[in-house]
Amino acid sequence: EFWDTEFSSESILKSTMNDFICGQYNRPFLESFEETPMLVAVLTYMGYGILTIFGYLRDFLRHWKIERCHIAREKEEQRDFVPLYQDFENFYTRNLYMRIRDNWNRPICSVPGAKVDLMERTSRDYNWTFEYTGRVVLDVINLGSYNYLGFAENTGPCADSAAEITMKYGVGVASTRQEIGNLDRHEELEKLVAKFLGVESAMVFGMGFATNSMNIPALTGKGCLILSDELNHASLVLGARLSGSTIRVFKHNNMQSLEKLLRDAIVHGQPRTHRPWKKILIVVEGIYSMEGSIVRLPEVIDLKKRYRAYLYLDEAHSIGALGSRGRGVVDYFGLDPCDVDVLMGTFTKSFGAAGGYIAGKWELIEYLRSHSHSAVYATSMSPPVVEQIITSMKCIMGEDGTTIGCDRVRKLAENTVYFRRRLREMGFIIYGNEDSPVVPMMLYMPAKIGAFGREMLKRNIGVVVVGFPATPIIESRARFCISAAHTKEMLDRALSVISEVGDLLQLKYSRRRIQPSLSLPCDDIVFEDIDD
Amino acid sequence: MNVGTAHSEVNPNTRVMNSRGMWLSYILGIGLLHVILLSIPFASVPVVWTLTNLIHNLCMYLLLHTVKGTPFETPDQGKARLLTHWEQMDYGVQFTASRKFLTITPIVLVHICSAITRPVLVFEEESSPKRSSRGIRDIWGGTRTRRNVAKERQDGCVCFGFAGSSMSFMTAALPGTAAR
Repeated sequence: EFWDTEFSSESILKSTMNDFICGQYNRPFLESFEETPMLVAVLTYMGYGILTIFGYLRDFLRHWKIERCHIAREKEEQRDFVPLYQDFENFYTRNLYMRIRDNWNRPICSVPGAKVDLMERTSRDYNWTFEYTGRVVLDVINLGSYNYLGFAENTGPCADSAAEITMKYGVGVASTRQEIGNLDRHEELEKLVAKFLGVESAMVFGMGFATNSMNIPALTGKGCLILSDELNHASLVLGARLSGSTIRVFKHNNMQSLEKLLRDAIVHGQPRTHRPWKKILIVVEGIYSMEGSIVRLPEVIDLKKRYRAYLYLDEAHSIGALGSRGRGVVDYFGLDPCDVDVLMGTFTKSFGAAGGYIAGKWELIEYLRSHSHSAVYATSMSPPVVEQIITSMKCIMGEDGTTIGCDRVRKLAENTVYFRRRLREMGFIIYGNEDSPVVPMMLYMPAKIGAFGREMLKRNIGVVVVGFPATPIIESRARFCISAAHTKEMLDRALSVISEVGDLLQLKYSRRRIQPSLSLPCDDIVFEDIDD
Repeated sequence: MNVGTAHSEVNPNTRVMNSRGMWLSYILGIGLLHVILLSIPFASVPVVWTLTNLIHNLCMYLLLHTVKGTPFETPDQGKARLLTHWEQMDYGVQFTASRKFLTITPIVLVHICSAITRPVLVFEEESSPKRSSRGIRDIWGGTRTRRNVAKERQDGCVCFGFAGSSMSFMTAALPGTAAR
């Protein structure tokens, strides 16, 4: 307890400093990203070095036909053609990824609720091919699905209403929104989303990834500037690149870095002509899914107002999961949703459906209805999915007459705090904010990535592990997603198993040296790929 | 497995040399190589140092300046496919901390190596008949006379090592080849 109070008092001190600075935080902002222990970093590099040496050895053996080659090759007749891919580009996939491939793409055969059924599979040639034994691993505790409020279920009011609507409207819409695929259910859903978020108007799209990648090009173009966070999701990066605007990256959640970029942009203007930028758009996420950190929204809004930039907030993971009423990160900080220019989110995570939305002022949404690629060319959302979202959203808002939604939001917050506290007490290094339901636990070494995934599955718990090159080279992690559907017994069982596996694999690295949070002035330069 | 799922870094290879503990691991790697070579029974200490220098330079040349591209597919449609790791570092920005460190280490290594293989000789005050056979004085203070011909073989090794390490230095210094 001594460490906990020292840690929390240190961070409360920092956040009261923040309060003094911007006066808008109404709760302590406790984030920590403990630094990698040096010995662990050295051993991680050694691990990758050994794997590289063995990779070269195996490639040599495969080339001289001493070992059988399982990789897809060109046929004999195509031997003189230009090869399909460079051998070296595939090095990582065939020598490192293939060894631990059984931790990903696991087929599930039930609804991904708090417990899930997996199809058992084995491999006789070291993960090159898989065979199904025919057995099903039942009741695996699911710590990997984005099921924050537990709406991924096949019974209950949401599923019943979705089934009813399928009987009435069918499953496919067979058109785009602009042509003849605009159902009355879509209109009702959009009004409901706008009411949920507290804004004027909203628009929904069939796919969450496509919401970002197809709408950012409609909002900005050449001559505009996009300031995006270092750890933004691939959909935001793709949308920014497709738009043709200049992209500048600021350090993760670092307000000094963002302010410096804003000032430089306004003072110097566009690169060669020094004309003023047409628009400056700051793109941030509510919860960053790989770090578990929450954006410093009060400070971002303060900067946005001071420098007259626009703000695009991607609440893919935070909508429904944060806030006392479940309305997302804006509700969590107690801010006004009209301060954020473009509110974006997805229905995949907290509503148990699929798709995304963009919300904001009425003029913006009307513009997007005719100018967004997704609205004009992509098929609209399917009716049962629409109904699932309507029912679950009404449940969260309390409009269905019960308190189920309210209870779930509170249960998620309790589960999150409990799980994080217990993991931290056990001595694991956990990244991120104390209130975020995404819990990344550091593994660091490449061998432990595979070992952790397999050991957890042996003990009937399903987790998601991530390694290089998806993460930085020494920061491989296992990512847990807490759900309101997890009961305390499930969490206790999961925690005891994690502790057991952590002792077995020596994962308890924490030395309680909490890195001072990211509110340091940025004095090292970020080298980025400049292409004008 | 996808590059950059957790971060918007287009080519993670550019950041590898800046990561925490990489420099220490590099030094420890050289130390490990040296210790392994020391365990060869018939090699004397100067020969082992020379071998360390040579093998280190060879490996660094192969890894940093010969192998091109990335071991994974990057989302930028292969901009780095024809670039060596040295050129990819920090997206081609010159004189960053990692580049300076990687340039200085082989130079330091070759100086240590030479100091151990050819320790500095005191210049002897000889009488005039011997002065004519003074020969070329090299930078470590010794003179290359007939007495020192037996050490020529070690000189040769040292010169090889120096040439290898200066290659990386020149690659950094020439702006045209490195900055792309």
